[in-house]
Amino acid sequence: MLPRAVVVLGLLPVHSCNTSHLCYALQIEALMMEMQNPDKGIKTQTQKVMITDIPHAVAGKSNDILQWILQRLQITEEEALHLGDLFVKYGYIYPLQEPKNLTLRRDGSLYRFQTPYFWPAQSWPADDTDYAIYLAKKNIKRKGILEEYEKEHYNMLNQKINYKWDFVIMQAKEQYKAGKERKKADRYALDCQERAYWLVNRTPPGMLDVLEYGLDRATDPNENKVNQVRQLIMYCQQAIMKSRVKSSVSLGGLVKYSEQFLSNDPILSGCLPSNPWVTDDPEFWDLNAKLVEVPTKMRVERWAFNFSELMRDPKGRQNFQLFLKKEFSGENLSFWEACEDLKYGDQSKVKEKAEEIYKLFLAPGARRWINIDGTTMGITVKGLKHPHRYVLDAAQTHIYMLMKKDSYGRYLKSPVYKEMLAKAVVPQETVKKSSNFPFGRRHLRSSPSPIILRQQEEEAKAKEAAATVDITQVMSKLDRTWGAVPRLPPRTPRGGGGGVAPNGCPELPPEVGQPSRLSLPPAPPGGGMAQGRVKPSQSFVFKSAAFGAEVDDSAGSRARWPTSECIQPLRGCAPCQGVHPGHPLRGVHPSLQVSCTS
Amino acid sequence: MVKEECKALLDALNKVTACYRHMVLTIGGTSDSQNLREELKKTRQKAQELAVANRNKLTTVLKDKTVSKEDKAEFERLWVIFSTCLEILEIDMRRALELGHEFPLNVPKKHLIQTGMSGGTSGVAARAMSVQNMKYEAEHNIDVVDLKDLENEINQVGEMMYEMEMKVSVPQWTVEAKQDPGAELKSTISVGASSIGMISVEENKSFCDISKVLAGIIFSAVLIIAIVLAVCVVKLS
Repeated sequence: MLPRAVVVLGLLPVHSCNTSHLCYALQIEALMMEMQNPDKGIKTQTQKVMITDIPHAVAGKSNDILQWILQRLQITEEEALHLGDLFVKYGYIYPLQEPKNLTLRRDGSLYRFQTPYFWPAQSWPADDTDYAIYLAKKNIKRKGILEEYEKEHYNMLNQKINYKWDFVIMQAKEQYKAGKERKKADRYALDCQERAYWLVNRTPPGMLDVLEYGLDRATDPNENKVNQVRQLIMYCQQAIMKSRVKSSVSLGGLVKYSEQFLSNDPILSGCLPSNPWVTDDPEFWDLNAKLVEVPTKMRVERWAFNFSELMRDPKGRQNFQLFLKKEFSGENLSFWEACEDLKYGDQSKVKEKAEEIYKLFLAPGARRWINIDGTTMGITVKGLKHPHRYVLDAAQTHIYMLMKKDSYGRYLKSPVYKEMLAKAVVPQETVKKSSNFPFGRRHLRSSPSPIILRQQEEEAKAKEAAATVDITQVMSKLDRTWGAVPRLPPRTPRGGGGGVAPNGCPELPPEVGQPSRLSLPPAPPGGGMAQGRVKPSQSFVFKSAAFGAEVDDSAGSRARWPTSECIQPLRGCAPCQGVHPGHPLRGVHPSLQVSCTS
Repeated sequence: MVKEECKALLDALNKVTACYRHMVLTIGGTSDSQNLREELKKTRQKAQELAVANRNKLTTVLKDKTVSKEDKAEFERLWVIFSTCLEILEIDMRRALELGHEFPLNVPKKHLIQTGMSGGTSGVAARAMSVQNMKYEAEHNIDVVDLKDLENEINQVGEMMYEMEMKVSVPQWTVEAKQDPGAELKSTISVGASSIGMISVEENKSFCDISKVLAGIIFSAVLIIAIVLAVCVVKLS
């Protein structure tokens, strides 16, 4: 920032006591004081002012200043000019004839030295309160005529330090009155000084603000550069050692990825049945809901791309779990999911979750003991002494890789997957319907309440955890409870092994008494979940807006529909199934439906 | 009345602070002199006395639980004014110390900055001390001697402020200023200073007037034309 002339100033005796000043500020101040020397300093003259003569006012002609700097510091003229300019900009000297033009002009214009109180100093930043007092004083003096930016500042400060405002006004008045006790010429000089100070510290718009970062960011020339450079060297060395991929390789990977996923991208390749944002038809979302009963073909095919795609998709995981159960390695996926839950769950529950996982999966002789190697087990057990979110990371990675390398390949060839692939549906493309109803009433559909969704997920998880090994036991139990009572017992285990979709709480109680033909309702309930309610004594309609398929209930298929455990509150409303589709309470969680027409 | 006394004390402190600021401004400039340093010392001591008096008064009032709500709000406002004043005083004292160190007067090698001031500050000091004329009775090296005292007094003021913070908890930001912006213009200081009020409001007002007048003219013109037309119609039919 400052030319090397300042370094030259190191020859000057520097004050030792004013450690609060910046180093270069000290040097400038020393220079300033040298300039005052009547013999060797700058020759001054008086300034004739219109209003009043200032007989002893001193001003230094700019050329004098320049010459003095040149002679004292022995630097080039350009540097001297720059240095002198900086003196003016920082407020050590201020111009008399054009106060706003803070430059050192070479045409002999007059300058004056600023009083030391107003010298820039880092430990005394220009205070807002002081500025407010100054503006108030100016207001009094000029009878309300302030510059635009000053008015803005005034109003802004009034709001900002409103609690001090009374003091500001009092102090301004007093300072004004005290100023009157001085000679007129001195008053004028004081005005000039203050104005110059605030021009530097609160620059008007359009003027260069020298103090921006200036005082705060000055670096200490005494700072130890060696350490800095050392750190820089270390950083560069480490950066070199980082492994890099050739751009051709990474670009090739990107191209491959794009090609593979192109067909799955709804924006680039369009989506079936239709883009909901365009046609207002949420069928697409219904079809692709997280744990929909029958996923779309595209989705199922995607599971074959790579293992992470399979794991990303909850439905995929479900299907994979089914396969793993057949291979008797279902605990792997359960463990993986438990670890994910630990990582992304509540902080408060981390400890207990970790303990549970250990008890269930890792302890010797645990119920669902997973097979990991000795070192990983050692690390994990050690880490479990002080459990945190990522304590099971090593084990999780191991299991993940195991599943990826081992089970995944077989899964893709397995009948489970093939069955799912065959079952998967390719939705029909729908035509834009909204053109028929330009002013008609749009049926607004609400998506399933997240509370319900979460409940369903938790149900599924709980069920998962409970009914793990013995499928047949569960199935027999289920058959028993099915034909028994119209009201369902609280916690009947769900049938069908682990992978049954939680068809829990329906958004809308299905219509009773209607033929088993399912028609696409005009306003299908959101969520696209397979919504069924088990009514052993009645035939029920499996309502899923997404399919339009006829679903019949039969004793055989009953096994597929789980008992709606989550609907404990709903069970009280079982008779409410008589709610008409057009009922205004449609789409509301049935437990909220107060009036149950039984 | 306690309120009046407090206000009077506060006004006095305010005045002395303003005068002190004026005097500190001149340190290091051409009006700097031993007299100035002596004035500084005296003013400072007076300021401290006033500060202590203010503090005692205000703390007793603020600790008094029997004070009504409006009174309490008023005293809190006075408290905020007092603490701000004290802050400014402390800052000025510190600067005076620094500048005093930088510009000792009796060293021939150190020259004062030629700031363009020629007159003295005796008037200001007299105003601060509330006397007619200032008497100067200090030694000729008061500028150096005084600095030690100044340091001690700064510490004292610092401690006082700290104590104040600890004893009385007045949240500053809850105090609302009584004076509006532009209130200083309403003072009768300058001759012919009519109460202008908020500057921006003033401009808006004039604009509104013009537009209002214009609107009135247009409306009346339209009215006249309508009347004329009606008369014509009546006449012709």
